[in-house]
Amino acid sequence: MVDPITTRRLTYWAMFFAISALVIFLRILPLDITPGGWPGPDWTIAIAFAWVLRRPDYVPVVLFAAVVLLNDMIFLRAPGLWTGLSVIGFEFLRSRTQITREMPFVFEWAMVTAVLLAMIFANRLILAIFFVGQPSLRMDALLIVATSAAYPMIVIISALVLGMQKIVPGSVDHLGHPL
Amino acid sequence: MVFFLFALFLLWRIDSPRVERYRTALVDRVVSSLDWALVPVTKLAGMVENFQSYSKIYEQNQELRRELRQMKAWKEAALQLEQKNAKLLDLNKVRLDPKLSYVTGVVLADSGSPFRQSVLLNVGARDGIVDGWATTDGLGLVGRIAGVGRNSSRVILLTDSNSRIPVTIQPSGQNAILTGDNTGAPPLEFLESPELVRPGDRVVSSGDGGVFPPDLLVGHVALGADQRLRVRLTADYGRLEFLRVLRRQVPKGVADTGRLLTRTGPIVPTQFIGSENDGGG
Repeated sequence: MVDPITTRRLTYWAMFFAISALVIFLRILPLDITPGGWPGPDWTIAIAFAWVLRRPDYVPVVLFAAVVLLNDMIFLRAPGLWTGLSVIGFEFLRSRTQITREMPFVFEWAMVTAVLLAMIFANRLILAIFFVGQPSLRMDALLIVATSAAYPMIVIISALVLGMQKIVPGSVDHLGHPL
Repeated sequence: MVFFLFALFLLWRIDSPRVERYRTALVDRVVSSLDWALVPVTKLAGMVENFQSYSKIYEQNQELRRELRQMKAWKEAALQLEQKNAKLLDLNKVRLDPKLSYVTGVVLADSGSPFRQSVLLNVGARDGIVDGWATTDGLGLVGRIAGVGRNSSRVILLTDSNSRIPVTIQPSGQNAILTGDNTGAPPLEFLESPELVRPGDRVVSSGDGGVFPPDLLVGHVALGADQRLRVRLTADYGRLEFLRVLRRQVPKGVADTGRLLTRTGPIVPTQFIGSENDGGG
């Protein structure tokens, strides 16, 4: 008998992978090929950030990196760079979970947006250093705005549908084990 | 792990063709395993969209009637021209280039991000597709093949910011480069005398540099809001479903770093070697 905490954890890993695969699938559907579209939010990153701040054990960093690298490859970005920066941002947030537990949501939101901003900035900087052509500043700005706007939505859905609550000090899981 | 990822980025920067090959293989694997679902879902979404447009059917009908009236006049003109053309072709004994046959593919997926304009076709190396071939949608030029997997190939659209193709503007015969910039109407660059070009002129591929076969219709010149000459593309980018890939023998492209030195030494033309031997003996 596998212990229920591990089962639950594995379920969330599978769920994260499935959601990311679904996002890729929906985005490569050739529905609107005309250029000039808005960059939609980067769902994968937003979901990973929201989950890692709630339950750090539900999104292992290796899975996260593999999924973002797959995104890099399929969406024709420079492979590895955005993934590396995402992993740094991800681990930064993971190391701050103790602090965010007591913070109100607005601060958490601001922190996530700031991390995204730093990631995009570093991405542009490195691409510029290596003389790689890059998208216009406006597109990147819209990407941050969209992802940041999607963040509270993901948090609410995670909390209501998937039952993912922040760990508060002294909380126990449904079997009564301390977290 | 972060180190490994950045190393991958560096490797990509240094040896781009190799990493791009891996990328093509990966995309080929992923998209081929999804194509059973991609096509039906796309069709379904198309049906929903069509259904929504039924609500506007009356206005559409009126508009179509108006257009039909104009088209009748054009049809008459076209028929006359066709007869004339057939007669002239017959007089000239023109034979169309037999090398220009084509392979038709279905659009499986797009690039998935607004930063890149490309589509994936369900034909690949298996069907004899080669990098660099031109693709049209039957009306006008759409793009060129860049990246061929076993079962799929990527078409970089003319609107992508990496797309550059040589074009000729008719009737003035000016040459220019059509430069994709992620907008619907790519601008013309390197025009020698822009004053000879008028909005409405036809833009066709020029065949310079062996990039594309000459005289494929690209679009018409239009003056953009920013007062630059842009091209309104003829191909229906809103509805790319089937694309034709034109078979063509293109000159060898640059696939790797220059081959100035080979394993057996520098390349020397054979007659030189022959004359040296004669002189020595």
